[in-house]
Amino acid sequence: MRNDNREDYLINILRLTDGTGTVRTTELASYMQVTPASVTEMLKILSKEGLVNYQRYRGVSLTEEGVLKARELRRKHHIMERFLTDVLDIDHEQAHDQACAVEHSISEETADKMCRMIGTKIDADCTTCKNPCNDGTVTIVKCIAVSKMRQGDKGKISHLSSGESTMVRKLISMGFVPGRDIQLTTSVSDKGARIIKIGEATIAIDKDMASAIFVNLE
Amino acid sequence: MTNIQVALVGQPNVGKSMLFTRLTGVGVITSNYPGTTVEFDEATVNYKDVVMHVHDLPGTYSLSTNSEDEKVVMEMLCDNNNDVIAVVADSTNLESSLVLAIEVCELGLPTMMVLNKFDLKRFDFDIDTLTKIIGIPVIPVSARTGEGVDNLLKAIYEKMARVSDYRVQYDGHIVNYVKEIMAMDPSITWGMAIKMMEGVGHYIESASDDVRKRIEEMNEEFTSIHGEGMNVHLARDRYGDAHIIAMTVCKRTEQKSSRKDRISEMTINPSTGIPILIAVLVATFACLIFVGGLLAEGIETLYENIVGTALSDFGRQIGGELGEAIMTGIDNGISAILGLVIPYIMVFYILLGILEDSGYLPRAVVLLDRTLHKIGLHGNAFIPMMVGLGCNVPAILSTRIIRSRRERIILCTVICMAVPCSAQLATITGVTGRYAGFVWVLVLLILLVALGTISGIVLNSRLKYEPSNLAMELPELQMPRLRNVLAKMWMRTSDFFKLAVPLLIVGCIIIELLVSYGVLDEIVDPMSWLTVGLLGLPAVTIIAFIAGILRKEMSYGMLVILAGTQGITEITDFMTPHQFIVFGVVMSIYLPCLATMTAMYRELGLKETVKISLATIIVAVAIGSIFNAVLNVIM
Ligand SMILES: Nc1nc2c(ncn2[C@@H]2O[C@H](COP(=O)(O)OP(=O)(O)OP(=O)(O)O)[C@@H](O)[C@H]2O)c(=O)[nH]1
Ligand SMILES: [Mg+2]
Repeated sequence: MRNDNREDYLINILRLTDGTGTVRTTELASYMQVTPASVTEMLKILSKEGLVNYQRYRGVSLTEEGVLKARELRRKHHIMERFLTDVLDIDHEQAHDQACAVEHSISEETADKMCRMIGTKIDADCTTCKNPCNDGTVTIVKCIAVSKMRQGDKGKISHLSSGESTMVRKLISMGFVPGRDIQLTTSVSDKGARIIKIGEATIAIDKDMASAIFVNLE
Repeated sequence: MTNIQVALVGQPNVGKSMLFTRLTGVGVITSNYPGTTVEFDEATVNYKDVVMHVHDLPGTYSLSTNSEDEKVVMEMLCDNNNDVIAVVADSTNLESSLVLAIEVCELGLPTMMVLNKFDLKRFDFDIDTLTKIIGIPVIPVSARTGEGVDNLLKAIYEKMARVSDYRVQYDGHIVNYVKEIMAMDPSITWGMAIKMMEGVGHYIESASDDVRKRIEEMNEEFTSIHGEGMNVHLARDRYGDAHIIAMTVCKRTEQKSSRKDRISEMTINPSTGIPILIAVLVATFACLIFVGGLLAEGIETLYENIVGTALSDFGRQIGGELGEAIMTGIDNGISAILGLVIPYIMVFYILLGILEDSGYLPRAVVLLDRTLHKIGLHGNAFIPMMVGLGCNVPAILSTRIIRSRRERIILCTVICMAVPCSAQLATITGVTGRYAGFVWVLVLLILLVALGTISGIVLNSRLKYEPSNLAMELPELQMPRLRNVLAKMWMRTSDFFKLAVPLLIVGCIIIELLVSYGVLDEIVDPMSWLTVGLLGLPAVTIIAFIAGILRKEMSYGMLVILAGTQGITEITDFMTPHQFIVFGVVMSIYLPCLATMTAMYRELGLKETVKISLATIIVAVAIGSIFNAVLNVIM
């Protein structure tokens, strides 16, 4: 069972971060409905195995190896789920739950064969999934860095995450505080400054700072 | 007479300085961008039987970042025995002003709130409710129209400022922590405990070791439960409260104009913004050259018509030959700087004032951010550079808005070396341009841009990397007011009349005395290897350069006086166009003036000041010699 648990963490971190971002331990805890303490404990183990980067208070992201492993798992999950819904005609919610349980134990070969039997190519991205798993019981809030927002996107600040505490303090003092609504009005260029409406103010910040602010998109 | 100490605090660009001027009648610079004021200003008002000492402070967004500027403001608030802390709020952005007001209230000092920019009427306010909620008087004013300023004076006079009993609804854990800290050390107040938990140096340093250790533990514990530090959570709670208060007491009556948003968008978006920026810069320089030129002619004619030969006649009457020589020198010197230098300086400051007040500068900052990275700076370096085109002293001071020391060194070097102040700019346009052709103005400006870029690149690769970022609030665009633009122009140029003219008179007397004793040539001779040998200029120009160390606009005045001592009345007979070019090159690069060096010494210390100053001399001589050699060949 321990193995299943580890893999659940990997796949859930992948779901929350899209493989590139960072997720806070508290968010992960509430998403997986477990206590922050147990999250912390597991993250320490995964971190030792080199599957995640974990820094206390800042959150966790997948390492390259972690992403590979998590994506492999998610592929198996998708295949299993599609097999259950398409071939066996089981409803999505049940299929999701059962796929969650089985994804850990089926081999690569089994997965490939099932995939061939379904007849469509299924990969780790949710694009091929007819009924993506975030339509299931849990709602996934998509949390992205402001630097990745597109022009016109609105959202609520979820957290700030940066290695530099002075940057975080500066951001807070200028009003980038969790819970506030913001809108990205302009991105000067891909690497350039971001213009953000927050409350009645319009503030320009550079990309580094924008990468330290995470929002839940509306 | 009783004295009342009043401190004006507030976020950047809320109008503290404009209010300060309204209250005291003392002019200070106000501009439409955050970070205009970097130094404290103080002035007094006599009101009935009291003397109010009003302090204008630099704007700060909060009191919790531990940054140098906030520390200084915090100390001023806590240690100055202020009778009234007037938190200046922006009525068009109450929510964010309230957060700072709440922070100030937590310090437990007598406070009142000034709701500025009330003339804009973008919201309807329920002032009574606001007063009741935050427990301090709230006085609506408009620093622009003067409306409500009497009420403010009256409120200060009547000691209406209150210690607020407003308490933010902080998280339960935090409240328990605060209580625990207050129990550990009864001398710690609620507000102090909050600031300590926020990690604010000013308070943490005064705490006992036990308290400090406990707070560290608390922060660990809190972070493991909430997933964010206490400082983040405190800010979150404050903004939460401020949002609710703002929703309760103000109703929007007028939307921000979407036209302004569109224009703002155009200035930021590179595809339209870069052409706009270029157009603005070209228009500024074109205006400077043409309007400055017109004005120069006008003033020269006027001066000749009014003064004529009166000064030299007067000199002959009272002092014979020497008297006539001195007075003629003074006459020439004054007409030279009045006629050629000052008009350009005045025109430049009017243009700068328009740019500053429109709110365009911060947009250019955003646009230039990536470009300036190449020389190790951020976009915000653009504002000190623009200010530096007026005068390098406030430019050096305004580099304080940049936090990284490394960037400040780069920027100060670029400013001293390659940003001509208005006096240097006037010399380039009014002297080199006039006598050698305006195309040389362009050449010199391009040379300076190249020089600035190169020195930036060199320093950027030499100095140790320090992380640093750009964050700048973009103020609303507004129509510049003529009154403010002219007032600023006068504040910034009156010194030229008050200091440059007397200095020129003194300089002239000294030189004429030296000439009459026949020692001038002996004095300038030791330096002729430089002036004549390398730069190909008349030997006496060294004196003009030395005068320029005192004040840059004096150089040309002195040059004219020096020409006079050689018996030459037309300056064009004294130097060839080619020499005017070299003179312009050296003038715009060599040594910053004394006031700039002093400012730099205060901001960066002795070592950097000496280094930068020496570098400018070497570069000026090197480029001047090259120009001289090349021009000798081609002209
Ligand atoms: N409409 C309106 N504009 C105002 C008022 N007071 C100030 N302003 C404008 O607000 C801008 C900022 O004014 P300043 O006085 O320089 O602001 P400050 O608070 O001293 O700013 P910093 O020194 O940067 O902290 C200027 O462009 C003023 O024209 C007001 O009462 N009404
Ligand atoms: Mg000011």
